Amino acid sequence: MRFTLLGLLLGFLGIVSALSATGSSLLVIIEEEADKSKYSQFWADLQGRGYEITYRSPKDTNLSLFLHGEPAYSHLLLLPPKSKGLGPNLTPNLLVDFINGGSNILLALSAEQAVPTAINSLLLELDINLPSDRTSLVVDHLAYDLTSSAEKHDVLLIPSAEPKKGVVDFFSVDGLVAFPRAVGQVLGNASPMLSSIVKAGASAYIYNPKEETEGVEDPFATGSQINIVSAFQARNSARFTVLGSSEALQDTWFDAKVRLPGTDYKAGKTSNKEFAQRLSEWAFKEIGVLRVEQVQHSLDEDTKDINPKIYRVKNDVRYSIEISEWDVDQWIPFNPPTGDAVQLEFSMLSPFHRLSLNSSPSTTNKDATAFSTTFRTPDQHGIFNFYVEYRRPFFTAIEDKQTVTVRHFAHDEFPRSYEISAAWPWISGIWVTIGGWLAFVAIWLYSKPTRDNKPASAKK
Amino acid sequence: MASATKPQSTASGVFFEGETARNTRGLLRIIILCTIAATAVASRLFSVIRFESIIHEFDPWFNFRATKYLVQNGFYDFWDWFDDRTWHPLGRVTGGTLYPGLMVTSGAIWHALRAISLPVDIRNICVLLAPGFSGLTAFASYLLTSELSDSPSAGLLAAIFMGIAPGYISRSVAGSYDNEAIAIFLLVFTFYLWIKAVKEGSVMWGAFAALFYGYMVSAWGGYVFITNLLPLHAFVLICMGRFSPRLYVSYTTWYALGTLASMQIPFVGFLPIRSSEHMSALGVFGLLQLVGFTDYIRQQLPSKQFQLLLRTLVLVIFVVAFGLLVLLTVSGTIAPWTGRFYSLWDTGYAKIHIPIIASVSEHQPTAWPAFFFDLNMLIWLFPAGVYMCFRSLKDEQVFVVIYAVLASYFAGVMVRLMLTLTPVVCIAAAMALSQILDTFLVAGEPAEPIEAPSTKTNDAKDKTVPGIPEVLRSTKGPLVGIYSYMSKAMITGAVTCYLLLFVMHCTWVTSNAYSSPSVVLASRLPDGSQHIIDDYREAYYWLRQNTKPDAKVMSWWDYGYQIGGMADRPTLVDNNTWNNTHIATVGKAMSSREEVSYPIMRQHEVDYVLVVFGGLLGYSGDDINKFLWMIRIAEGIWPDEVKERDFFTSRGEYRVDDEAPPAMKNSLMYKMSYYNFDKLFPAGQAQDRVRGSRLPAQGPELSTVEEAFTSENWIVRIYKVKDLDNLGRSHQDAGAFEKGNKKKKAGKRKGARVLRVD
Amino acid sequence: MAPKKNAAAGANSQSTSSSTPATNTPVSNKPSSTSTASRNASTNPQDIATGIWENYVNNTPQRVKLIDTFMLFLVIVGGLQFLYCILAGNYPFNAFLSGFSATVGQFVLTASLRIQTNSANAADFKQLSHERAFADFVFGSMILHFFCVNFIN
Repeated sequence: MRFTLLGLLLGFLGIVSALSATGSSLLVIIEEEADKSKYSQFWADLQGRGYEITYRSPKDTNLSLFLHGEPAYSHLLLLPPKSKGLGPNLTPNLLVDFINGGSNILLALSAEQAVPTAINSLLLELDINLPSDRTSLVVDHLAYDLTSSAEKHDVLLIPSAEPKKGVVDFFSVDGLVAFPRAVGQVLGNASPMLSSIVKAGASAYIYNPKEETEGVEDPFATGSQINIVSAFQARNSARFTVLGSSEALQDTWFDAKVRLPGTDYKAGKTSNKEFAQRLSEWAFKEIGVLRVEQVQHSLDEDTKDINPKIYRVKNDVRYSIEISEWDVDQWIPFNPPTGDAVQLEFSMLSPFHRLSLNSSPSTTNKDATAFSTTFRTPDQHGIFNFYVEYRRPFFTAIEDKQTVTVRHFAHDEFPRSYEISAAWPWISGIWVTIGGWLAFVAIWLYSKPTRDNKPASAKK
Repeated sequence: MASATKPQSTASGVFFEGETARNTRGLLRIIILCTIAATAVASRLFSVIRFESIIHEFDPWFNFRATKYLVQNGFYDFWDWFDDRTWHPLGRVTGGTLYPGLMVTSGAIWHALRAISLPVDIRNICVLLAPGFSGLTAFASYLLTSELSDSPSAGLLAAIFMGIAPGYISRSVAGSYDNEAIAIFLLVFTFYLWIKAVKEGSVMWGAFAALFYGYMVSAWGGYVFITNLLPLHAFVLICMGRFSPRLYVSYTTWYALGTLASMQIPFVGFLPIRSSEHMSALGVFGLLQLVGFTDYIRQQLPSKQFQLLLRTLVLVIFVVAFGLLVLLTVSGTIAPWTGRFYSLWDTGYAKIHIPIIASVSEHQPTAWPAFFFDLNMLIWLFPAGVYMCFRSLKDEQVFVVIYAVLASYFAGVMVRLMLTLTPVVCIAAAMALSQILDTFLVAGEPAEPIEAPSTKTNDAKDKTVPGIPEVLRSTKGPLVGIYSYMSKAMITGAVTCYLLLFVMHCTWVTSNAYSSPSVVLASRLPDGSQHIIDDYREAYYWLRQNTKPDAKVMSWWDYGYQIGGMADRPTLVDNNTWNNTHIATVGKAMSSREEVSYPIMRQHEVDYVLVVFGGLLGYSGDDINKFLWMIRIAEGIWPDEVKERDFFTSRGEYRVDDEAPPAMKNSLMYKMSYYNFDKLFPAGQAQDRVRGSRLPAQGPELSTVEEAFTSENWIVRIYKVKDLDNLGRSHQDAGAFEKGNKKKKAGKRKGARVLRVD
Repeated sequence: MAPKKNAAAGANSQSTSSSTPATNTPVSNKPSSTSTASRNASTNPQDIATGIWENYVNNTPQRVKLIDTFMLFLVIVGGLQFLYCILAGNYPFNAFLSGFSATVGQFVLTASLRIQTNSANAADFKQLSHERAFADFVFGSMILHFFCVNFIN
């Protein structure tokens, strides 16, 4: 975590003009030079935001994702290749290493071309499943564009989803977003790292146009199980975004007029441009990046001694953590979405306390929110962690662990016996005994002369 | 009369009083005692000469670390020491759970030497403490034996026996910095003070006995032996009708002061009142009050009924007290007997109920050759000495008899308790041998290596008791004719031979069996030169220099103290086996599959795992041989998850080769031990030299840990625990992906599809 | 059993025989008389009790009475503490222990002093002068007090 933060900071300092929190170098993999112009608005937008874009063909033999063992680019945009594979420089293993190195990938798919097997197996590692026949696309007979796909129903028009409680909303745009010929993804159940950005409507299903049969039996996925855009954040917070339809980024769809079937909705302009901007902002870490500024813990009554290594059982402890959020071009105080809270665990093997941290306006400074709480250490000695783990969809992960020792009462920290009223009878017992003894000794010594007679007489 | 004054004069250490003759004898005595002490020290230095000045074995490493802490931080910090580098993450309240006597002693010596501007490295003090105290032990056994026997040579013989008996040397060579190092001295000296107190009925001696008992309590858990032996002695004396005011004075003084003294040690605390082991002392204390009271009344009121009354009273009180004890134990007021204690009575108990105690090698029952090995000729002189005690059965002789009986039994049950047997064997043997010498050398010019008897026997006629020698002379003299020089020479020669043999045996045993530090192993090369195998230290220093200072190391508890002492890294469990569950957790992690072990290791924040593997070198004390104990201990806590039966083949064999059961082959311990081992050999030829079996051609594969270090002879292997996979996969999947195996496509799933909800 | 009995009897007879010459003659007259009286009436416990009491009052030197007073005082103090413990609980257990054991310890030490200075036991304590016994007593008591005060914290 520390290193990531340091990396973030260094990256930020290094390229001041960049808007991303991690760096501005962007590699775009595009097979044919000719296709570049199809995305001109998108490139312009990215360049306007400060990205240094390198365009490479997957066939380029000089192409390398790494320089001296470190990722050579901060971001990678993979556009669907025409050929079957991605070539030896973009194998799944390299891409995984690229992610492990902390760089972000935006993968755009298209149902026009068959999805390369390399991509398929890479996505499987992330627990994202693509339809098994690699040319399937998503159709929706109720939410298609009447203008462009009146027949095929393969241009989906999807409004932004209702924001969910407790989840930050980075992607909502007004109006409809068009996803022509999208490749639907199905997210695995197990992985908490996956989250869905855009889902297909309830009436969508996956369909392979190459199949000759009439009607679809046992579709690969239906309804809202189909994801058009999905996001994956690795443990190191590297982002991997899958966009089901690369065409959605093209100029044609940025200002196309679309119309939903049905009467009440008039034809309107798509919101693709806005959506593409939001998506790339997120995918390239311009938003939703969290950072821990400062962690402080101390005794509640003695706040001078900051971050001591050792506490005692039943100490009142104060803990505070400052978190800031990168918002396009600056660090701002982070506030969790409504209904959510940053939580602190005070744990040894298992949590002894799990507390929601409070932020107060008074402790919030210009670029960070201080979350704090006070609690009493449990009556159990051991090696404890102040552990804050904040993993939420679309936010980079925060994991901060401060290890402290909680010791037992020292021998002189127990109440002295004279402070316990219950002990007084016995204290007096001792002192009465000692007093009696002193008196006895005194009388004995005093009575010595009289005593002498008897041993003398006894010796007779 | 003479017999009564003599012990006192020797006891108070007054060798210089009296006439010139006595002066000479006293001087000789001192010189001899000093020589004996020097011998005792010297014979324990083999380990330093053979190897180096290093702390031995396991427990001493902890004591050494604690001593360093004491020296660096002072006594109060030591007292309140909360050790956060052991038993991670529980920590250990070290200051309150150790016997501080040893560390405080060496700390005091260190400070004293500094005070006279002799700065000595604390390590050297720790290494040489045990030999130093063995010299004192020899002196204490001289004093004790002088109290017990009238023969002037007995004390000196006992001193030299004590000085070189292997049974004691085994725990007190240089570097063996353990509690026993000073505890045996305290044991013998406390007994001496007790005998002195009983003999004289003096409060002062009783108080000194109590003080030294308190010191003993602070030094060794074996103090319970004293706590039970002294009351037993008193009880037996009462039962023999030998109650005397002297006994009352000495016992009550000792108990009242000694118990209070022992309660000052934080680790002992209220135990003397609460635990069953201490109840006999309390009971005898109460009994003595009653007996004393009745005795007092009897003096006022002598009548025959009183004998009867006394007897019945004693019996009734005993029964009532015992009943009360049982009742309190059952109701839980008094702590029940601890497991270690049960295992003293039933040698099979520990194996069934508390594997952790049974797993300690020094808690095993003693093999009978060990007695001869450790005590040599003393073992057959011992019964003779005990028999001698019966001949003049005074209070103190009763003590020896009781001590002998108890210690023999306990030594038979536990190897470690050989240590408590050794003093009484030395004393009894010395009494027997001196009896022989006194009888035969009364008027002779002895040609005998130990000078003491000769100087002393010259005046034996006028001075020693008329008792035993006279009896023997009168009975045997005319028949055997021991006045002749022939018989004298024969006996002297024989005894000399035995003594020389004994010395040779002791030297041989000491230098060959008991001087190995066990941290460093020695082997002989074909040309006879010594080859040092230093894998342990190699590995520990690797840890010290290549890992974070707070990297947690998981290993079996045997190595906990050494890792803490040499590598200075936090450990999960160590030789202070106070938390069985924690040890069982480690056992479970070691004996389970990787998928089970990994979460355990994560939870305990383990960074490195250390295993000891002797398969390459044929070092039999390795973890695979200890593995069954790990399994058993883990099974004690998780009987459903770890089963000892699964680790045996269907025919009940413990194997590591091709036929090893799956539970064995999949266990983390097995995998870590044999990981990459087959690469050392031609394919299919991997051979485990400890268990003498050929290993499977396909070596084990590891996914959750990676090899970090393997020592030169593969004895210590260290693995690093991998972090969680960055993409949230299991390590097996990640490993398979790395190798290029394509993941099975989810494809058509069987049954109803599980939908994602978010 | 038989040898044990014999041994006990032997020990007793020895001690009594040794004590009679040592004790004061005028004093020893009285016990013999009372003992004969009590032997006659030994079936009646009340008589035994009064016999003991009379024997005690007539027969004890001044300083032994002093010791006895002190012992009685200790018994009362100890008894009170024990009673309080039963009634009010033993909450600071170490305080109770040290308080109670102080009295018990002092009691046994005083009893030891009494035994040692009792001329009837002189045979058992040949090398022990009364001054020495008293010095021992003071030494033991001081250790006791130190431990108790230390333990009560």
